[in-house]
Order: sequence, then structure tokens, then C-alpha cells
Amino acid sequence: MRRELRSLRSEKTIVLAIAIQLFIAAFSSFLVVGLVTMYDPSGVDGHEMEVALTGEDTAELLAAADRQDGLTAVSYEDRSQAHADFDTGQVAAVLDANRDGDDRLVVRTTVPDEGLATTVLVVQLRETLEAVEHQERLENEDRLAETPLPIPEAIDASPYVGFTYTILLPLLLFLPVFLSGSILVDSLVEERQRGTLELLRVAPLSFVDVVDAKLLATAALAPIQAIAWLALLAFNGTAIANPLALVAFVFALALLVVAVGAGTALAAPDRRQAQLLYSIGIVAALVVSVGLPEHPANTVAKFAIGNPTSTTWLLLALYCLLAAVAVSLLRRGVRRLEPESL
Amino acid sequence: MTDGRDPDAGGADGIAGSARPAEAETGGLRGRVTRTLRVARWEVTRSVGTVDRKTILVVLAMVTVAGVVGLAAVDEGLALESELYVVGVDEDDPYHDVAVESTAFRPIPLSDVELEDGSEDGNVDVVIADDRIGHVGTNGEAAYDAFRGAVETYNERRMAAEADETAAYPVLVTLEYQDRDLGDPVGGDDLVDDEEDSTDLEPEADETATDDGADDDAVDEDDSGTDDREHGADGEVDDGDGQADGAGVDSTVDDTDDDELAVPDVGGGHAAEQTAPGTPGTLSPPFPFQSLVLAFLFVVPMNFVIQAYGSTIMDERIQRRGELLLVSPAGRLEIVAGKTLPYLLGLVGISVAIALAIGGGLLSIGAAIPIALAFLAATFTGAMFARSFKELTFVTVTISVVLTTYAFVPAIFTDVTPIALISPLTLIVLDLQGDSVRLAEYLFSTGPLYFGAAVCTLQGLGVYREEDMFTQKAIPSKAVDAIVSQIDAISRRVHAYASPFVLSALFIPFVFAAQLLVVAVFFAVPEAIALPVVFVLAAAIEEFAKSIHVYAGFARSRFDASLRVATVLGVLSGLGFFLGEKLTHAVQFVGLPELTVGVAAFGPALSSEPLVLAALFLAPLVLHVVTAVVGALGAARGRTSYAVAFVLATLIHAAYNLGVVSLVG
Repeated sequence: MRRELRSLRSEKTIVLAIAIQLFIAAFSSFLVVGLVTMYDPSGVDGHEMEVALTGEDTAELLAAADRQDGLTAVSYEDRSQAHADFDTGQVAAVLDANRDGDDRLVVRTTVPDEGLATTVLVVQLRETLEAVEHQERLENEDRLAETPLPIPEAIDASPYVGFTYTILLPLLLFLPVFLSGSILVDSLVEERQRGTLELLRVAPLSFVDVVDAKLLATAALAPIQAIAWLALLAFNGTAIANPLALVAFVFALALLVVAVGAGTALAAPDRRQAQLLYSIGIVAALVVSVGLPEHPANTVAKFAIGNPTSTTWLLLALYCLLAAVAVSLLRRGVRRLEPESL
Repeated sequence: MTDGRDPDAGGADGIAGSARPAEAETGGLRGRVTRTLRVARWEVTRSVGTVDRKTILVVLAMVTVAGVVGLAAVDEGLALESELYVVGVDEDDPYHDVAVESTAFRPIPLSDVELEDGSEDGNVDVVIADDRIGHVGTNGEAAYDAFRGAVETYNERRMAAEADETAAYPVLVTLEYQDRDLGDPVGGDDLVDDEEDSTDLEPEADETATDDGADDDAVDEDDSGTDDREHGADGEVDDGDGQADGAGVDSTVDDTDDDELAVPDVGGGHAAEQTAPGTPGTLSPPFPFQSLVLAFLFVVPMNFVIQAYGSTIMDERIQRRGELLLVSPAGRLEIVAGKTLPYLLGLVGISVAIALAIGGGLLSIGAAIPIALAFLAATFTGAMFARSFKELTFVTVTISVVLTTYAFVPAIFTDVTPIALISPLTLIVLDLQGDSVRLAEYLFSTGPLYFGAAVCTLQGLGVYREEDMFTQKAIPSKAVDAIVSQIDAISRRVHAYASPFVLSALFIPFVFAAQLLVVAVFFAVPEAIALPVVFVLAAAIEEFAKSIHVYAGFARSRFDASLRVATVLGVLSGLGFFLGEKLTHAVQFVGLPELTVGVAAFGPALSSEPLVLAALFLAPLVLHVVTAVVGALGAARGRTSYAVAFVLATLIHAAYNLGVVSLVG
């Protein structure tokens, strides 16, 4: 086991592995922060856009637009003047609001074709119009079977909380687990192909001991990295509610995955097939786990945010049990295996 | 290299056995091609042969199970957010149903709610009591915000079930996109392309005519009907708008007295153009990244193919298996080319298939190929350097991550800045958007990758020989070996002193790509932080490229470690780099120096004053020579002094860049 860890250290692969994880995390966060900022105008501070309102019935729109962050509405009597100002860039959009025969408000919206800015603008206009729609519905109350529920006041909430707990954290906790499995597959396949497993037979160790040591060494890497990630997230202000449960979860999962990886490496004829089987197996397991009452990623999110249900705890116990079963199965299989046959 | 061939050495092996007829055609181009193709054929048959039936069956079984379960669960989604938040609400509260319907919330009765520390924390995130909604704890705000969204969704669902549609949907919206030329009242007519058609979807023709000053609109107006149809039939990649257009409350369209009805909904080429009146909720903002996501499809299979490719190269190095091929009549270039060919062809085939599937043209394929080459070349070198499969796994993952970033991140800025063009993915995005690309832009975008792939392959080929393939050496020492083998090759052909000159110039594509990546990564960072970092990093990259091969030469005793030799090598290295860099000034054709961060990396745009021009032209020469000499002097004395000299040279370089930019800018 010590030898295994030493070889990992000497190859600096762990450094590389952590750098890669950091990179992937940074990359996905970068994308999400960018996208969220784009679709959430409140994230764009101090960027007021003026829109022109024309038509017969603008009072409600005017009020709604002024309540909307980042929008200022200007009333125009003259429709062509509004369009002229639009063409010169003085207003960002023209909204032409009229009543139709059924007393519905028909809003004809003209926005510029200008990429990202338009996206932000359309999001804001949609929210404004939805506010108007809600208002109008309340006025139609007597014609509706059910009155729409009042919508709570908007507050300034971080839009990243959901992403952090449901995507980023599971990603950070699962990546080390999969890498551990991959390392073990490589390690065993290589010993087989180079014929160095024969040499280990001379050592005063049984083959089971060798596999055990490799298993523990690689599986232990995952919870260590998980602890580091959790500490880093906590340092950055993301509260982690059940760190112990999460670390136990990662360790159980790592043991399970590593045991499966070891089995694959011993059964498959060469590295390409071992890695193919292993990676497809992981992906398939992730897909199949949708059938569980809780997806593993959801389990992680619930533990971390502090709302685990009894199902969540039961699943944690199940994963621990599965890990124990997988390891004991592997040991039994290895004991029966003739090292010479490898 | 191939002098010591012994065609009979591998006689026992089937591979070498079938190679015998090749002896007749050893020389000439035809012989080379034949041998390359033969190695390629072996590679294919061997790869196919080693995949046994059991593996295929297991893989198929797993894929089938995953597919069935995945398809069954596709309606529910991944449910990652399911029951993420807890809301305390009594059953008779109107909001109780909201919490029940929304998957992200788990309702508990108010009697079970426990609040601690004066309602600072507790077992709930949101509490609803007496028609008031409050939030608790650190994640309460986010939960409250999510609950607000859930109420909106709940209302929408109730309204959709209403019988009286006009009451349930009292607001109708149409959305249209209109080009406008800001600050350029005269020009811009040439920019009027078919995208302008979107304005023609304007149902009331007279309004367009009066309100739009641009006369081209009035001209287009007459044939707007046909234009629209053409546009809709373009087969452009616009999955998004079909949904947006169709999602409107179609049954209510009849009620409106507008003449929009006369115009069939041909769904413009634009994302989410909404001509039929719909509810506000159906307004979907244009998604500018759609083409980007599609372009990303090209990169995904490459990540998988290089895994297999890395394995096959690595396999040759385990148990000295590659020796059989090395002693065959095929030279190492032919062996490597033959082993690579099937994977390259496979990637090209996949790219063509993807291009056909998503409607990309020749340009998309032409832009995908250099990315594929770069992936394969980097993996080849990585597999030559790696000591074990474990290390190879990390090397390939690193290559995947770095190259994917290099391709993906700049492409995000496709419509924002010309710097996006450093990634060939941008070309694919442009192609998918229907824009045309100039040849210079194609070369700018793909050139570094072509060159980079070539240099990478050369490095890998340098160590494709017995003494490096089958020994365990650390990656840095292998890299030094690879460079030294290039030095040897150049020394044999020209002169020992020519190597720093040539190698400095050869490394330019890497320098160029690395600097562009630095610029792209720091593009989004505030300039106050980005500029100094970019200055230092750009300088460090250049200094490294100028000195690493000199260091390699000294470390393997290819040069005398004397002051004179070090100076000469430094001067030559600086000169080579300077000339190479001038070539890359093709950058300026694309207008990159307009970007402040670009100036930091590449130096200011050339001024029109002849004196300034000459000074600006020669100053970098002096700089490169001076810093290269500093680096070379350090390199001659061993690793530690090389590190010190490298830092020193970087600082000099950065200071110079800063000085020039502040002088000119």
C-alpha cells in the first residue's frame, strides 16, 4: 500500500488530478455564473435600459416597468417618434400596447438584434409583462374558476445556491471517486501486463493482501480530496451541514467503485477494454441510479444543505452495505484466482 | 535511425512475417506509403481482434440497461433538486399545494417547525403562516426565491386549466427583432443580409415603411412573403424557435382582429422570433450559445478517441512490444503515421457525420480537423513520455481538459470580439450561424493548431526509439531528451549552433497559442488585475520557449558550458524567436491589437511614423537577444541558476513590454 502511494506521489499524478478537478470546477462555475448573470438581470448592476411605451393603454405597463429592476419606461404619444428614437439608440425597445376586442392587452414588442444585450432585455421584458399579466388576471377574478395565488415579493437571493448544492458539490465529490477507480484499473492492468504481479508473489504477502492494499490506498484518496473540497467550499461561505455523512458517503462510494474497477481490471484482457468497461459501467451506473428513490447527486445535495430525509440516511447505509459486499466479493474472487493465470 | 534494420528479426511474429513482401519496395515514396498503410491495417485488425466477444456483450448489456432506464426516466428529469428545501406550511394554507406540486420542496406542518436562536436557524428554510412568507437560515433566501418561482409555475398551471381563455391570458405579446445601425447613418447597407428579413415579418407593412428610415426595408417589403419562406426553409439550426412559436396560445389567435393571421407562421431564421401573439410566458430570449453547444459536439468524440489512441501507443512501449515494429523495414515516421492514420480517419469520419447531422458545411469539417490533429499529436507525445498507464490516464485527461478549454472558452466570445477566432470552434459557430469566413481568418484560427500538432509530433518522434521507449524516465527528463533529439537532428543536417535558432522559431506556435489562451482566460477579468498578470505570463511563456532548448542542450552536454558558447546560443535563439514572431504578426490583420489585453501580449500595433516604426521593429530584436542571452548564461550553469536566470529574463521582458505599451499607448 505504501508503495502504491509512493508511486502516485513520485509521478505527481495526484497534483495533476487535483489541478484537473480544480480546472473543471472553475470551468463549470465560470459557465454557470456567466449564464446566470445573463439570464438574471438583477445580477447586472447599474445597467438601466430605457424602453418606449406607445399605444392606447400603457398605464399598467408603465407601473410594472418601473417596478422592474434595470428597466425605465418612457411614454411616447407618437408611435413613429418612438421608433425613430429606437433607431438612433435612445431607447432599447418599443412596446406598443393596445386593447383588442376581447379587452385583452396586445403588446407589440420591437427589440434590437444585438446579441447578449437583447437576451437580457427580453428577460426583463418578460418579467414585466408577466407582472402585468398577473395584475390583469386579478382584475378578471370573477371570470376565473381559481384566483391566482399572490406572488411573494421578490428579494435579492444568490442565484448560485441551487447550482452549488445540486451540481457543483456532487461533481466535486464524485470526480475523485471515479478517478480513484480509474487509477486502480490502470495500476492492476499494468502490473499484469508488465508481469510484475509475479514478483509480488515472492514477497511475503498473499495476492489478496496485495489487492487489498491497492484497494485501500486508492479508495482512501477520494475522501481525502472530498474533505479538501468541503473545507474549501466552507471557506468560501457555502455552509456544509453534514460533513461527516458526506465523507462517509464518498468513502463508501469510492470503495464500491474501486472494487468494481479491480474486478474489471482482473477480468478484462487489456487496458483498453478494462477502461472501456469501467467508464461505460460508471456512466451506466449513474444513469441507472435515476431509478433510486434519490439520485446520488440529490443525496449529496440534501446532506450538504441540511435537509436529509430518512430515505437519505437509509441510502447512505445502503451504499455502505454495497461497498462492504463488493469488497468481500472481490476478495473471495481474488482468493480463488490463480495468479499464474493472469 | 533505420540503418540497423533487420527484416528477419521478427520472423516468428505474424506481423513481421507478412512484412516480407515489402522488402522489394523499400525505397521511394510509394514504398513509404505502402508501409504506412500496412502499419495502419495492422493497427485496425489488431484493435478489432483484441476486443473479445465477452467485452462487447457486457458493453452492449450495460448500454441497453442504461438506455432503457434512461429513457424511462427522461420525463422526470434527473430530479437533482428534488426535496432540496423544507417549507413549513399547514395543510389548509393555499400555498400548501404549491409546495406539494413543486418537486424542490418538502412541506412539513407548522407544528413540526422548530426554530432556534431566535428564528436564525431551524429545520425549515421557508415558513408560511398567517399569509406571510418568511425565510430561515443561511439558505433561506435562495429557498424563498425558489418558492416564488414555484408559485408562478403553480399559477400558470391553474390558468392553463381555465375555461375562459381570454380571462386567463389577458396579455398577448408579439416580439420582433430589428437591426439598427447605431452611429453609422451612411454605411451598413452592405451588412444587410438575409437576417434583415426578420423585420419583414412585421405584419403591418405600412408601419415598417414609415418607421424604418432605411430604404432597403422598403425594397425588401414586396417580396417579403417569398423571403420569409426561403428563410424558414433554410434548414438553419433553430430548434429553439419552433417551440417558442408553436407554444403560443394558438387557439386564441383567431380572436385577435389583427391581420397577422394572414401570414402563415414560417418561423423566421431567428431564435425565438415571435410573430403570433403569445402570452408573456412564451417569450423566450434568444439563446446566443446554441451554435456553440452544437459546435462542442465536434470536440466530444475526440476525447474518447484519444483514450484508445494513447493506449495503443503505450502498448508498444510495454514489454518492448514496439521493438518488432522498430526492427521492421518501416521507418519510425511510417510506423507512427500508420498507427495514427486509422484514428485520424475515424475522427474525420465522425466530424463529417456530425457536420451532416447538425447542418455544418465544409468549413465546419475544415475547422474540426486541426482540433483532431492537435488532440492526436498531443496524446502521441504524452503517451511517449508517460511512464505508466496511470500516468497516461492523467496525461490524456490533462490534454482533454486543456485542449477543450482552448477550443471552447474563446468560442464563447464569438460575436463579441475578434479574439474568439483563436479557436477553430469559433469558425464552426460562425459556419452554423451562416456567416462566412475569410481565408486569413481560417489560417489565423487553425494555423497554431496545425503547427502545434506538427511540432508535438516531432517531439514525440524524437523519442520514438529504443533507448527512450522502453525505459522509465521522469517526464521532464523525457522532454529534455525529446528536445535534444531535435538538436541532434538539426546538428547533423546544418550545424550545432543552428538548433537554438530553429527551435526558438519552431516553438512560436506554442507561444502564440499559450499567449492567446492567457488573453482569452483573462479577458473576462477586470483589466486592473488582468493586465499585469498577462504581461508577466506572456513574457514568461516567451522566455521559456527561448531558453528551454538551450538548457536541454547544456543538460545533455551537447554544448560546451562556456561563457562564449552560451552567449552565441543566446543571440541565435533570440534572433530565431524574433524572426518567428514577426511572422505571427499576421495577427494584426485580424485586428486583435485593438484589444488592450491583446497589446499586453503581442505588443502595440505598428505606428505609421517611419522612425517609430524602425525603432519598434528593432527594439524587440534587442530585447529578445538580451533576454535569451540571460537565459542561456543561466542554463549553462545548471538547473538552479537556469531557474534564476529565467525569472530574471521574464522580469526584464515584462518591464520592457510595459514600457513600450505605456510609451506608445
